[in-house]
Amino acid sequence: MLEVLGLLLGAIVNLKGTAHYFEWGVIQISYANLVVIILMLLVFVLAMAIPFPQHRSGRTNEN
Amino acid sequence: MRTEPQAPDQAAELDQAELSREWTSRLRRTLTGKLPPEKLLPDTQPAYVASWIYVFGVLTLAALIVVAISGAVLALEGPDWWHNSPEGHFVNSTHLWSVELFFFFMVIHLWGKFFMAAWRGKRGLTWVTGVLAFLLSIGAAFTGYLSQQNLDSQWISTQAKDGMNSTGIGAYFNVLNFGQMFMWHILLLPLLVIIFVAIHVLMVRYRGVVPPIGSVPRSEEKKPWRGRVRPYDIVKEASIAFVIVAILTLLFSVVFSSPDDPAATIKQWSQVDPVDFVQTAQSELAGASESATYGPPYNNQSGFVQSLGPVSLQKLAGVHYPINSGQDFVLGPLETIKSGIPSLAGALYTYQHASVAQQAAWTAAFGKADQHLTVTGDRLSYPRGNYGPVPTLLDNLLVMARSGGLDNALESHQGFYGTDYTKPLLFLADGGYFSSIGQKYHLLGTQWGMTNETGNFPGQAWLWLYTFWYQIPPMSTSANGDVMVMSIMAVLTLAFVIFPYIPGLRRIPEKIPVYKAIWRRYYEEEQAR
Repeated sequence: MLEVLGLLLGAIVNLKGTAHYFEWGVIQISYANLVVIILMLLVFVLAMAIPFPQHRSGRTNEN
Repeated sequence: MRTEPQAPDQAAELDQAELSREWTSRLRRTLTGKLPPEKLLPDTQPAYVASWIYVFGVLTLAALIVVAISGAVLALEGPDWWHNSPEGHFVNSTHLWSVELFFFFMVIHLWGKFFMAAWRGKRGLTWVTGVLAFLLSIGAAFTGYLSQQNLDSQWISTQAKDGMNSTGIGAYFNVLNFGQMFMWHILLLPLLVIIFVAIHVLMVRYRGVVPPIGSVPRSEEKKPWRGRVRPYDIVKEASIAFVIVAILTLLFSVVFSSPDDPAATIKQWSQVDPVDFVQTAQSELAGASESATYGPPYNNQSGFVQSLGPVSLQKLAGVHYPINSGQDFVLGPLETIKSGIPSLAGALYTYQHASVAQQAAWTAAFGKADQHLTVTGDRLSYPRGNYGPVPTLLDNLLVMARSGGLDNALESHQGFYGTDYTKPLLFLADGGYFSSIGQKYHLLGTQWGMTNETGNFPGQAWLWLYTFWYQIPPMSTSANGDVMVMSIMAVLTLAFVIFPYIPGLRRIPEKIPVYKAIWRRYYEEEQAR
């Protein structure tokens, strides 16, 4: 039972292999960290670029 | 007799002026005055809150809830569970990935707020509490990495200790003490993170969302928004955010799992690289190892004492975890097994009753010979020389280490339930074997190791700036490199926290047109009106 569960819950993509690194001068960064940072920048840019859904507006806040 | 009907009359008779002076009444008036329900749970937002950038705050909160839930489930079964069962390992994976998502969303939220100059209009404390929550989260994550009980935590703790010790903090915050780090990770830091996040959210609700740059005169920025508003269902938004984060966490956990490289042991070290083990033990006995010569907080030596100019906070903090490397790593453990080994008992007696000069002469002579040291089976082979009882001591220590007995002796030095791994970790870190593993996994300081995780998993990328300073001169070459890096980071961190109050700097985002992209729709609509 536990073995089956282990297989089901185990990693589908194996990230436990040999790590790869991007090196540029003194800068060394794992591809995993690099992907996360690039994704953050991408999401940040997309969050500004993609139009936000329109809502009814025009009411004035009385507070 | 019924007495209830009289209650209102009795209440009416009470002195209303006296009631209004009660602390409880005052607190209620203050809270409801500053944060009435419609402000706490609003159903409208200013019309300019119409960008996807705004969802990253609530996504961060949702991720924090998933982090807390996964951490609580891990706590149910205790810290060993996730090493020993697939279910526990899966829950650990959800904890790891929810933390990654938490930082992912929080950093984007922070970028957004920076470019909005969100501290305008007396909202400086909102920024300060948010940044403090971010910094405390880094501490919580760091102690989490230290509490993993695997190779990664061993390595991070032995690397981070120098930075901590160089500032004197290490005397009170011992990163080699698993029990201490575990309690900080599961109680103290999460509590502080939640408190600061709560204050931050309440301040956002109290002050309101900062208006677009240039939308109102600067003096009006602190006033409640009186322009157009749009419908806003805060509960629906939070619920959707939670579902999204929970799904992403489960997805990443199933697809990628989480790393758990077994911790290095002294048994493993003595079996894989016995020569390095014996050479290290000899240097402990000779008082020549890093631990033996370190200085505070371990002893009164000065080999690794750091200072900024004439000031050494490390020295000022003093010795808090006394380490006598020869006694603690070699002689003490051998004492526990000598009763069954007459030759060892004799060697210990001879060594301990010799003069300090004689002990130094024996260990120095053996130190010169240890380049020709070989290990055959469980026994040492070395050139002839006058080493006194030293070879017998080291020979027996090797046998003890290979049986796992030295691990037990060093780990249980404080008794059966000890959770402080300072001694075994210092001993391991003194040898070359441990750093060879670190190099293999790309964890050395020169490899930006603090930001890396074993394998291809993302690590603590948020420590990039801290790690960066170690790579460039003079920090990379100075004996005071750690205290220099910690000082630079202390200044930068303080500047980060009080950014809204620094003249000139606080206006920088207003000169960078990123805010125009964030509020693009608002500016377009206003132009069209």
